[in-house]
Amino acid sequence: MMEEVEVSAKTVEEAIQLALAKLGLDREQVEVTVLKKGKSGFLGLRSGEARVKVRPLPQPAPEQENVAAAKAILEGLLQSLSISAGVEVSPQAPPEAHPGSIALEIRGQDLGILIGRRGQTLSSIQYLVNVLLAHRLKRRQPVFVDVEGYKKRRYQALRSLAERMAERVRGSGQPITLEPMPAHERRIVHLALMANEAVTTQSIGEGEARKIMILPKMARPRR
Amino acid sequence: MKELVEFIAKAIVNEPTQVQVTEEEGEDGLILKLQVAPDDKGRVIGKQGRVAQAMRTLIRVLAAKEGRRAVLEIV
Repeated sequence: MMEEVEVSAKTVEEAIQLALAKLGLDREQVEVTVLKKGKSGFLGLRSGEARVKVRPLPQPAPEQENVAAAKAILEGLLQSLSISAGVEVSPQAPPEAHPGSIALEIRGQDLGILIGRRGQTLSSIQYLVNVLLAHRLKRRQPVFVDVEGYKKRRYQALRSLAERMAERVRGSGQPITLEPMPAHERRIVHLALMANEAVTTQSIGEGEARKIMILPKMARPRR
Repeated sequence: MKELVEFIAKAIVNEPTQVQVTEEEGEDGLILKLQVAPDDKGRVIGKQGRVAQAMRTLIRVLAAKEGRRAVLEIV
């Protein structure tokens, strides 16, 4: 299950949108608690930020026949790639997957070819499985695809990297920019540091070069 | 190579019988030409070209396995 997040922005609505974007969820998949209403103030003076808590709602477990369909699609894809590997259905989707996801794991020998540079091949496979399944079911049903625990290892590595770098930023007061990462990996870092009191995160750059910057949370300047 | 493109394309179009993939030897390797019903063209390209891009990634993987190059053209 994905953790809840707290987000500040100028208005309540903006904060909700920001949180949804970070979680990758739709409005009806979450429960929103308004912690603080924003005040607009005069010319930005005495204005206060709005703060909301957004909690992902538990999603119904995917239906068995849809799980079977997702598995069959992935198996077909692997077969047309001339790759002999097995597909297992994981009992539970990992924390970084969208709630209600079907989780599939590809098992076999020498599957590095399915991961690709920065996991790009795996991302393409997962994307296609999602599109193919959505077309068949006529609705969206998220599918999470991993290869021999690759994403699980990345998830843990990214969480600990995020914590280490945040600690360094907190100590030095200087921002740190991480290596470029694909979108789903940046999301893991953003979420890992969302509740951090000392730092805030931001993505900079475009496309393949997009990367995360970890910045110290500035003390509010005195007026 | 052809089978891969056919498998994906047939699974995302509304008219799978109109999916046609032809292979041609070009100067830079194999050229895969994908043809679908006019109304299905958007589906094989995808939002912001993401479906086509994902297909190209997988074509590259398969081609690399066979030690050659291949490109996808949607016609």
